[in-house]
Amino acid sequence: MAEKIKMPLIGGLVAVISIALVLLGNPPNMGFCIACFLRDIAGAVGLHHAAPVQYVRPEIIGIIFGAFIFSLANKEFASKGGSAPVTRFVLGFALMIGALIFLGCPLRMALRIAGGDLNAVVGLFGFAAGILGGVFFLNKGYTLKRTYGVSKTDGFVLPAGAFILLWLLLLVPSVLFFSTEGPGSMHAPILAALIAGLIMGVIGVITRLCFVAGIRDSILFKNFSMMSAFIALIAVGIIGNLMLGGFHLGFENQPVAHTDGLWNFLGMMLVGLCAVLLGGCPFRQLILAGSGSSDSVVTVFGMIAGAAFAHNFKMASSAAGVTTNGKIGFAIAFIIVVLIAVYNTFIKRKAGESI
Amino acid sequence: MNRYIATFSSHFGALSYCKALKNQGIAAKLMPVPRRVSSSCGTCVYYESISAIDLDGCELDSVYLEANNRLECMLRK
Repeated sequence: MAEKIKMPLIGGLVAVISIALVLLGNPPNMGFCIACFLRDIAGAVGLHHAAPVQYVRPEIIGIIFGAFIFSLANKEFASKGGSAPVTRFVLGFALMIGALIFLGCPLRMALRIAGGDLNAVVGLFGFAAGILGGVFFLNKGYTLKRTYGVSKTDGFVLPAGAFILLWLLLLVPSVLFFSTEGPGSMHAPILAALIAGLIMGVIGVITRLCFVAGIRDSILFKNFSMMSAFIALIAVGIIGNLMLGGFHLGFENQPVAHTDGLWNFLGMMLVGLCAVLLGGCPFRQLILAGSGSSDSVVTVFGMIAGAAFAHNFKMASSAAGVTTNGKIGFAIAFIIVVLIAVYNTFIKRKAGESI
Repeated sequence: MNRYIATFSSHFGALSYCKALKNQGIAAKLMPVPRRVSSSCGTCVYYESISAIDLDGCELDSVYLEANNRLECMLRK
């Protein structure tokens, strides 16, 4: 019973924090977006040179710190890894290609829906389709094999990296790139963003909030606990946006979004598929990475690399729409992801490997 | 009869375990891993039995005994 009340409350809280961040300066419908924020960080450290999307997002640093500190204090921190890390890097990379075609991670998709952006509803259908595809492979035997205990330093690398990034942002910003226009130039004050991230990090560890698990558990177990958080997030988001004038129902002129339905669908389909194969959405990967999972750290690195390549190779969409390179990149990424899924589901067992 | 929760490295491992238990006439069901337990995969098997059941070939990670609203690890692979 407690769970039935707790999860919707958590979903509502995430919506409130996200709307507060938009009020404080973040781009519209982008209080939080793990994909966009990792992309902005990639730009801020010069991994890509798309001028409008370069900023060290303190929200990401806060999420990592929140998960790290809380999991340590709660004795849940465990340095683990070794479950196909390179494959996970590739899946994280491909996930980011899909997210940047759609323009958002599952969390931002929910926030976009809460802002009245119907393109994100199309994305939601694609996301669900991708999850269904992933569940098909899960039920047929997909596994990246078990994790093992690894050196503690593996678990400390990402929090230490986040600390250095925060130190650069606060004290040596001259070495970083900052957008002067576009979404990267719009941001909440550093302290507010950091605190919001910290809260999200703690929430992530306590509840295992995952936007993929919401739909996956509903399909697999008819368990709607996680889904209730997802629905509450959208409902509270809609109410909040209606109250504050941020709700604009329609397809056209939505902030940091395009109207190409097919590619909104396909982009999120790739995100859903990759996330199920990885075992969690980008937010969950970040939480796990802060809690000691070196596999998730590698996944986050994959996402950052994917974001850098997406912009350097002009695969990322913009408000103007999807690029030709983006469509080609999607096709390649999708084929690679399906090959990974097929191999780790069917072929290795045929070859006589134990599962 | 005791209540057990078994965790796995993969969803398919949980599926295989659940199926094997059902074939032995044990009431078992798949469910999301409870918050209190850490696991590589989000699926666990809940079943009622006299003792914890160890099975090879299904990526079994741990089996927990549920008693007095607490989980006690009975088996770890």
